[in-house]
Amino acid sequence: MYEAQRALASPARNPRMAVVIGRLLGIAFIVCFGTGLYSHFLQEPLPWMRFPTRPALLYQFSQGTHIIAGIACFPLLLAKLYIVFPDLFQYPPVKSFLHLLERASIALFVGASLVQITIGLLNTYQWYPWPFPFREVHYALGWVLIGLLVLHIGIKLPIITRFWNRRGDAERDDDEHDATVAEDEAVRLWGSRRPSGVTGRLIAWIDATPALKPTATPAVSRRGFLTTVGVACAAVVGLTAGQTFAPLDALNVFGPRKKGVGQQGVPVNRTAEEAKVTASALATGWVLTLTAGDVERSFSRTELESMPQTEVELPIACVEGWSQLAVWRGVRLSDLADLVAADTQASFRLTSLEERGSFRQTEMGPEYVRDPLTLVALELNGETLDVQHGYPARMIAPGRPGVLQTKWLSRIEAITA
Amino acid sequence: MNTAGVKTASAALPRTDDERRMRVARRALILIGSAGLLFGLFILFDSVRVTRLPGLALWVGAAIVLHDAVLAPLVFLCGILLRRAGRRVTGTIVLVVQGAIVVGSIMTLIVVPAIVAQGITPNNPSILPHDYGRNLALFWLGVALVATFWSIALYARSRRANQRPSSRQS
Repeated sequence: MYEAQRALASPARNPRMAVVIGRLLGIAFIVCFGTGLYSHFLQEPLPWMRFPTRPALLYQFSQGTHIIAGIACFPLLLAKLYIVFPDLFQYPPVKSFLHLLERASIALFVGASLVQITIGLLNTYQWYPWPFPFREVHYALGWVLIGLLVLHIGIKLPIITRFWNRRGDAERDDDEHDATVAEDEAVRLWGSRRPSGVTGRLIAWIDATPALKPTATPAVSRRGFLTTVGVACAAVVGLTAGQTFAPLDALNVFGPRKKGVGQQGVPVNRTAEEAKVTASALATGWVLTLTAGDVERSFSRTELESMPQTEVELPIACVEGWSQLAVWRGVRLSDLADLVAADTQASFRLTSLEERGSFRQTEMGPEYVRDPLTLVALELNGETLDVQHGYPARMIAPGRPGVLQTKWLSRIEAITA
Repeated sequence: MNTAGVKTASAALPRTDDERRMRVARRALILIGSAGLLFGLFILFDSVRVTRLPGLALWVGAAIVLHDAVLAPLVFLCGILLRRAGRRVTGTIVLVVQGAIVVGSIMTLIVVPAIVAQGITPNNPSILPHDYGRNLALFWLGVALVATFWSIALYARSRRANQRPSSRQS
């Protein structure tokens, strides 16, 4: 095992580098956890929760950040694993029960992190090749990972504090000293510089490979490693983030969505065919029913069109990280709420024409119901709403995830506060 | 549950204030972390049907195996091969080539699933609208070009340096 560790030695593999990359990865994890938690509670609020409706771009920003940080985790996590990989071969493998727990927690940390970022990425591609539900598992793993992160920091705290500043590195020793120690240790272990047999020959072959020539000092090598990680992060983020961050739109060649691509220039998450509403949404007898207590009123699309119309510019911001600013026109929800004399503190339950689906029915707190920007939208970008965007009528509110911007509305009910 | 042990392992007898503070901080972090972990597991068991959990365990296990037994050795092997192949060139060039391969590979890792998913996802023209295969090929080309020019520049610099009398001996 020691030989494996030694063969894996590289100037980039040292505790200082583990701390440097670990810090960035830790920040990315915390950002993902925070934005993920916000998104989760928007979708499943606890009864007392109220959310800010301004800035209207808030969810676009928070969820866009969630996906960007998640994508940056790929190069960062792989870099971190590259740095600490020789620790896999530490000998003896288990020193004590506590050491076993520590290694088990790291194994779980590694496995769960890889699964978390992988299913998160594939979810943005709407590809689900795993045998478990995405939303629940992604949320639970978020807590598991943030717990393991804090645990990991606790376990490694002496190393982290020591190598937090560059000084720790200098205090320790230089790389040449390391190499000497390794040689001595090899002699102590095997009685010679290297073991015999196949592994011995392999090690000999590796050693015959000249180490990096003088031009590539350990410092240069470390800088090369950091540059590589930096370039990889910039590439994966820079070439995908345009799906939410407009200034990078021109560079968006790998994002799963492209601004302006979709019916009426807006991407579509769930199509009318998937939701099986093509017939019911285009039926002539469609009405939107509003209820509050005993009051119930129904409006045809023509009746809605004849009411005072408001135009707003709001983004559709999807949980999958893409967003698209668009111009919506329709009736203020608060006006409709007044027509049925709903309590100003009442939450609303929105029901779609779709017969199945986890977001067929959603709830909206009073802060959104009474917001002047919240519309029952009838038009999108100057045209009658496309059926893919929720014709005959859909909800659009500031700062909410796209899945809660209910399409193909059929019922709006006030829930007694 | 394991905090007591960690404490004794880290510092048997905390003498200074620093050591005492470190011990307290570690205990707190380990306690909070364990609580977060347990809460996550509780949510998992609470919201996901038990019959689905073996599948999740399999995925987590497979991720560890995939990384430790496939990906990491592959990277290790590439590193050795590159070092042997690059024995005639200066180390910095090896680093540039290595970096280029790493950047290209990570992008490939992220983009290939998009190519696969394109054939699977439902009929929705706004999902995965790019020609990912072509873009990935162009990306590799771009990375290769940058790495080549960079290497040439480094090579020219090292030749110039070697022609100076002072470094002829080495």
